[in-house]
Amino acid sequence: MKFLIIAKKEMIDITRDKRTILMMVAVPLLMVPVLIGSMMKIVSFQAEEASVKQLKVRFVGEEHAPNLYQEFTEMDKVIMLNQIPIDSIQSYIQEGFLDAAVYVNPTYSKDIAGNGQANIQIYFKGTDSFDIARDRIKTVLKASENQIISSRMDRLNLQPNVVKAYEIQYNDVASKQEKFGKLAGGWLPYIFIVFGFMGAMYPAVDLGSGEKERGTLETILSSPATRLDVVMGKFLVIMATAFLTAFLALAGLLIGIQLISEIPPPVLTLINEIFSLKLITLIMTLVLPVSAFFSAVLLGLSIYARSFKEAQSIIAPLNIIIIFPAVIGTLPGIELNSITALIPILNVTLAAKDIIAGVINPFFMTEVYLSLFGFAALALFWCVRAFNKESTIFRN
Amino acid sequence: MITVNNLVKDFSLNRKQRKELGDEYKNTKTIRAVDDISFECKPGRIYGLLGPNGAGKTTTLRMIATMLKPSSGSINVAGFDTIKQGQNVREQIGFMTGQTALYDRLTPTEMVKYIGDLHGMDKIAFQNRKNKLFDILDMHSFADRRIARLSTGMKQKTSIARTIIHDPQVMVFDEPTSGLDVMTSRAIMDLIRSCREEGKTVIFSTHRMGEVNQVCNDIAIIYKGKLFYNDTLDKFKSEMTQPTFEEEFIYRVGEA
Repeated sequence: MKFLIIAKKEMIDITRDKRTILMMVAVPLLMVPVLIGSMMKIVSFQAEEASVKQLKVRFVGEEHAPNLYQEFTEMDKVIMLNQIPIDSIQSYIQEGFLDAAVYVNPTYSKDIAGNGQANIQIYFKGTDSFDIARDRIKTVLKASENQIISSRMDRLNLQPNVVKAYEIQYNDVASKQEKFGKLAGGWLPYIFIVFGFMGAMYPAVDLGSGEKERGTLETILSSPATRLDVVMGKFLVIMATAFLTAFLALAGLLIGIQLISEIPPPVLTLINEIFSLKLITLIMTLVLPVSAFFSAVLLGLSIYARSFKEAQSIIAPLNIIIIFPAVIGTLPGIELNSITALIPILNVTLAAKDIIAGVINPFFMTEVYLSLFGFAALALFWCVRAFNKESTIFRN
Repeated sequence: MITVNNLVKDFSLNRKQRKELGDEYKNTKTIRAVDDISFECKPGRIYGLLGPNGAGKTTTLRMIATMLKPSSGSINVAGFDTIKQGQNVREQIGFMTGQTALYDRLTPTEMVKYIGDLHGMDKIAFQNRKNKLFDILDMHSFADRRIARLSTGMKQKTSIARTIIHDPQVMVFDEPTSGLDVMTSRAIMDLIRSCREEGKTVIFSTHRMGEVNQVCNDIAIIYKGKLFYNDTLDKFKSEMTQPTFEEEFIYRVGEA
């Protein structure tokens, strides 16, 4: 039971460290809501800006298509800049002085009157946010085209069904929860994976290489505690910190969502319905083995390092390795199957996505837990070996 | 009592270490840090292990404290074998180095309690022993202050208290005064003397000859892993051919 004495001491020690508390409590509880809030604000600000933006359009060939030109001039929030020389149009668009240019062929009237196709070319800059120029012009052109088709059909005495053979109705059987889970569910595990790792990082460095740097390693190694006691005591504390950080990040996210006014009320109601206590508990059962895995790996690496600084330089690049499978899991089309259920971290993202969507496959979920606990046990075994290896523990 | 028999410790070298050690070690896979040494430290006496840096003193003491495993040979501490009965050995020893080796965010009381708990001390025994040590070392005024905020002297007192809280029978001091000022060094030397008076077995490594002269009963000189002098301090003094203790040591190391 000596590992419990070590765990108790390490917990007191680590919770008195301002940096750990900042990383474990303040960052997830404050940073996540602030980040989510700012992101939503930026998106809604951009969307609002796009909707009120005055569109600057150059229409070339208005004499060939006066009606169409008229429809353009009647568009909401538009300025027709027909004084711009034709050969400068493309450079004006490129530099952002002009949003779009509409080129109408000289044969426009003849083509339309003869039931033919009139060629219209639109120039725009596709890298502009929201493609507003293209979308708004498309709306005007579509309305005009529909009008022309309708008058042609009247003239030829044809019913609209002549050109519309099918009436297709799409009936989605997926529940709102399922759609939400598949669409946004991947980002949630991404947050708790990243925060779980961050939560384990600092305590692991402090409890591993920190002991070497302070010279306290010999104190603990010459005590009656076995190496296994030392590893287990430290491991439990790091795991608890990682778990708590991930949990607080999740809590921060849910609190943040409640405070964001930009989220439409029906979506907010749906989110509140989905995130029941049962769902959060289920998700936390995934966080537990992930925290164990991170803690064992980080403690093993930390004890290998000669100093605090070396430990940080070894551990920091792992952030990218952790993020990579977490991000892959958020991509559409990547689903939980018998193979992906075995890949650590990726399986957490996919399993959490399914849990949020409410479509849990018991076989795959069992595989996910077996894989996660298996990897955590392997990492812990490796960590204990590192502690028992003289060349690691007295590397300096 | 500490009995060391034919102790050998080899460390394996990686490519980088071989390169650092030069051409001599180009084709060697291991380096011998301790080479077939035997000695005995008796209760109520102070055994001084002398040698320059890198001689093998720390490696020997770490093997005595079960932190390192011998490559061959054996060590018996207070009747227990360090390889087979490591935990029993650790229950009997107090290990102290020149570093204060304390946890900055704990208080002296918590630090000492931690070590007491690891040694399985019960509440009453711990409280009595702690009060006694805190009285002797005059630690009550800063007992509940964070170690990070203590002066070097206060830290050293805390370090002494945590080393002897469980009243160990065997004390291992690895260069305990290195890097310390005169006042703090004196406190350590007093502790070493008091351990002898209490009948404990004390092994003490140093390269400060003055300290050896002050407290040691028996001495051993270790150089390049080999023990080439092992007898009483009095005998060493009687055989001296050089005018001072320090010069004699340098002369003997040079002869080795």
